[in-house]
Amino acid sequence: MSELSANERLRERVFRTIAGQEVYCDWEGFLWDPDEWNEELAVAFAAESGIAELSEEQWQVIHFVRDYYENNLRAPLNKELRKGTGLSLLTLDAMFPEGLRLGARKVAGLPNPKVCT
Amino acid sequence: MKKIKLTINDREKEVIVDDNMVLLDLLRDDLKLTGAKQSCDRKGQCGACTVIVNKKATLSCLTKVSRLEGAKIITVEGLGTSENPHLLQKAFCLAGAIQCGFCTPGMIMAAKALLDENLNPTDEEIKYALRHNLCRCTGYKKIIEAVQLAASFMRGEINPDDITPKPTDPPRGVSHIRPSAMAKACGTANFTADIDMPGAAEIAMVLSPYSHAEIKGIDFSEAEKVHGWIGGMTAKDIKGTNRIKMAVEDRPLLCEDKVHCLGAPVAIIVAETREQALDAAAKVKVEYSILPTLSSPEEAMAEGAPRVHPDIPNICFEQPLIKGDIARGWKEATTVVEDRFVTQIVHQAPLEPENSVAFMEGEGEDAELVVIGRSINIHLHKANIQDALGFDSVRYEEAYSGGNFGQKLEITSEGFTAAAALHFNRAVRYTPSLYESMLISSKRHAYDMKFKLGANADGKIVALDMDLVADNGAYNSAGHKFILRALHMLTSAYYVPNIHVESKLVYTNNPYGSAARGAGPPQVHFALESAVEMLAKKCGIDPLEFRRINSLKTGQTKATGHVVVDVWPFPEQCKDMKPLWDRAKKERDAAENAAVKRGVGLGAAAFGIGFPGDQASSAVEIGEDDIITVYAAAADPGEGTDSMMIQLAGEVLGLPLDRIRVQLRSTGNTSPAGPASGSRVTLMIGGATVDALQKLRKAMDEAGGKTFKALTDAGKQTRCIGKRNTVDSAPLDPKTGQGPSPETDVLSIQLAEVEVDTTTGEVKIVKMSSTVDSGPIINPNNFTGQMEGGMDMGVGYALREIYVAGETKDWRTFKFPTFKTSFDSEVVTRETPRKEGTLGSTGVGEMAMLSTAPAVINAIEDACGVRITELPATPERVLAALKAAGKA
Repeated sequence: MSELSANERLRERVFRTIAGQEVYCDWEGFLWDPDEWNEELAVAFAAESGIAELSEEQWQVIHFVRDYYENNLRAPLNKELRKGTGLSLLTLDAMFPEGLRLGARKVAGLPNPKVCT
Repeated sequence: MKKIKLTINDREKEVIVDDNMVLLDLLRDDLKLTGAKQSCDRKGQCGACTVIVNKKATLSCLTKVSRLEGAKIITVEGLGTSENPHLLQKAFCLAGAIQCGFCTPGMIMAAKALLDENLNPTDEEIKYALRHNLCRCTGYKKIIEAVQLAASFMRGEINPDDITPKPTDPPRGVSHIRPSAMAKACGTANFTADIDMPGAAEIAMVLSPYSHAEIKGIDFSEAEKVHGWIGGMTAKDIKGTNRIKMAVEDRPLLCEDKVHCLGAPVAIIVAETREQALDAAAKVKVEYSILPTLSSPEEAMAEGAPRVHPDIPNICFEQPLIKGDIARGWKEATTVVEDRFVTQIVHQAPLEPENSVAFMEGEGEDAELVVIGRSINIHLHKANIQDALGFDSVRYEEAYSGGNFGQKLEITSEGFTAAAALHFNRAVRYTPSLYESMLISSKRHAYDMKFKLGANADGKIVALDMDLVADNGAYNSAGHKFILRALHMLTSAYYVPNIHVESKLVYTNNPYGSAARGAGPPQVHFALESAVEMLAKKCGIDPLEFRRINSLKTGQTKATGHVVVDVWPFPEQCKDMKPLWDRAKKERDAAENAAVKRGVGLGAAAFGIGFPGDQASSAVEIGEDDIITVYAAAADPGEGTDSMMIQLAGEVLGLPLDRIRVQLRSTGNTSPAGPASGSRVTLMIGGATVDALQKLRKAMDEAGGKTFKALTDAGKQTRCIGKRNTVDSAPLDPKTGQGPSPETDVLSIQLAEVEVDTTTGEVKIVKMSSTVDSGPIINPNNFTGQMEGGMDMGVGYALREIYVAGETKDWRTFKFPTFKTSFDSEVVTRETPRKEGTLGSTGVGEMAMLSTAPAVINAIEDACGVRITELPATPERVLAALKAAGKA
């Protein structure tokens, strides 16, 4: 494999076509503009993380995270997530192969905090 | 040991102390009187620890308690309280003399000792009385004014109540006292080291003594024998990525198999006390295999040079910029200047060391890692910690923070405390020395610029060529962002149709570069504004007029091809500067022109704010007590974010300011809003807050009342969220450097008046003046405070400051600005509303020092005929240039 050039290593956002939709994602695959999120994108993000089909319980978590975000513009704290879903952290973590932050929050279309512009 | 009786704040104390214990440690550690601060490693260099001993201002860090039998001591806590403050404390608040507040208690105590003796001091007497006290934020001007104001209170000439803004006064355009100011004045504001955490373990770091080496082994066996040993950590003990996730993940929290710069962190040592931790850290044996040190970009770019990071080329970023037709530009140019301009590595120099604490809160699944420190981007730094440690449940809280100036864009000590708290499940504290703080933190990048500028027969700039090499030091982190920022603002206030730039960011084994006030543009402004002055003189056009005729106009393009749509009141700035410029030239011409020569110089600045792709969010809420709370992750290391937010809220909601409060410091109750950097807080986070406030105001208007009850009775929301996004766009084109630039610009011209002693090369600043337009001013004291402090920092950058790893160890070797180096200054404001501004306003903090250095350098050339092209213009460098030119 050829070595990446220095510029290619930079964390810049990436233009992608996913679920037939043209969106920007950041270097870790988080949706750049959380307002562009929809359930088709969630299904596609989930598939990329190894979830062939989202279960009802996973949708429940995604919707909780999403609703929380829309009301607070941030991800729920773990204790808020536990309270809101009635699930243990262990269970929540196991539901998403990439874990809570990189899994559930990414599938729910939450943004990553930005470095600087 | 010795038994000592003394009186502290009118209370008699009897203490049994070690002969070597200093008063500062007794006050802070044993009596929990944390108003007196520690910055300079107890060398008596900063004055932050000043208290009054037997009526004299005294550096408590140098005063042995064993010699204080019978002494009467007053600390800032003994002066007044927030409810019943001393007149000096009131005066400091009212004069805008408190920014970060870390130096404030020491300043106030030194001032009290003076005013107790002399109620009619001159400015020079104040400077002398406070000569041991350092301030990085204010440029000292407002501190002198505060002491004079206090004296006038004490003489009974002014009643403080008569000049204290009332909550019902107009929200904007009035210097309302910052909500945090009085706590800082009274010494009750908790900076990180002031946080009381009984039983907390202490951290000491094992830092690399080499700039480039392989780590062959780490041996704790001798360290483990130290009494109080809790444990040691290396990179292997960290469960996450161990990388600080910025733009490039090349900086490890703890070095893995290599160290890349002097002071790179190798191991964390935890013990019951700080002394034990330091003792143990000194006993850790690290086996290094020393590698060749790359001490400059030239060495790093040389053929066959070893790589700093084995998997990344030393040239870690390149960005050309091509605008117009540069060949045509040079053909049109009838007058051309060119030179090489070099800037130095500089420490941002916040007065507070890089302190941090961390602890675990809760048990089991409720366990949360709480980190308290100096972050200016709490949500990003929380994410940094989550990823580096592989632990998700993290809360970051910003303590009161003793200055920033860009340094706190990068995580440092909080990575160590978080790692140790999690690993050992202990509350831990890290209070590094000043020298350690310098070693572990980022620095301003050094730039080397070959710069060429040409004008046509009408004196219009038609071509610009620059070859830029930036020393990024050991880690990129976010370094390329600062190259991009420099290119966005390359042409400053001017329209330049044809440009060619090559730029490279290069890894070396120097300290890593990152944000520093201005973050990229100050370096390039030094080259540009030096060349503009040279070109104006070569064209035979007055430098101010030359700048005016080259002003960019709305509708024209910046260097990036970005079409400016907002206002561009630069010609008006030139008009504002004209009387100051004419007066300065007249005074220069009238000055005695012997060995000491007088000169005047200009520097213009345009600072872009609101970069493409920027995002911020905020929330406001009305409580049952009818108090409005703004929740925003808007760090306030000294700029006055708290008062800005409250004043915006007062304006939008039409409420008195005592009905509004802010919560700005915790990831637990705010949403991501980006860093307090790039002068973006007013525009972006203020903008998001105004968005939320306008929604709440609409709800209030519809409910017909501004109370919680009115809103709930009408079924309206009591909490609103707000957003502020800039244009959604990709970065600059990698081949041409063309693309969208910031939404709006702050504009300024600075005038330096200097005296150059041609026998010594010493440069004295007679006066700095600045015109400035950043839109309507929200808080005049905050605004001028930024300008004065910025110019002071710019003068230090021009004349004194340089950071050499391993040699710059404290404030004296750094050449920190003092009362002695302070100068007279004047700020002339214009308030053209910005279309994209927050209620028309933007920020001013960084623009304040953007063109100070070139203005000073241009004034030196005007005074004595030699041009300094490498910063800083030290006496040695100026004298050498004078001798080379036969002018010494």
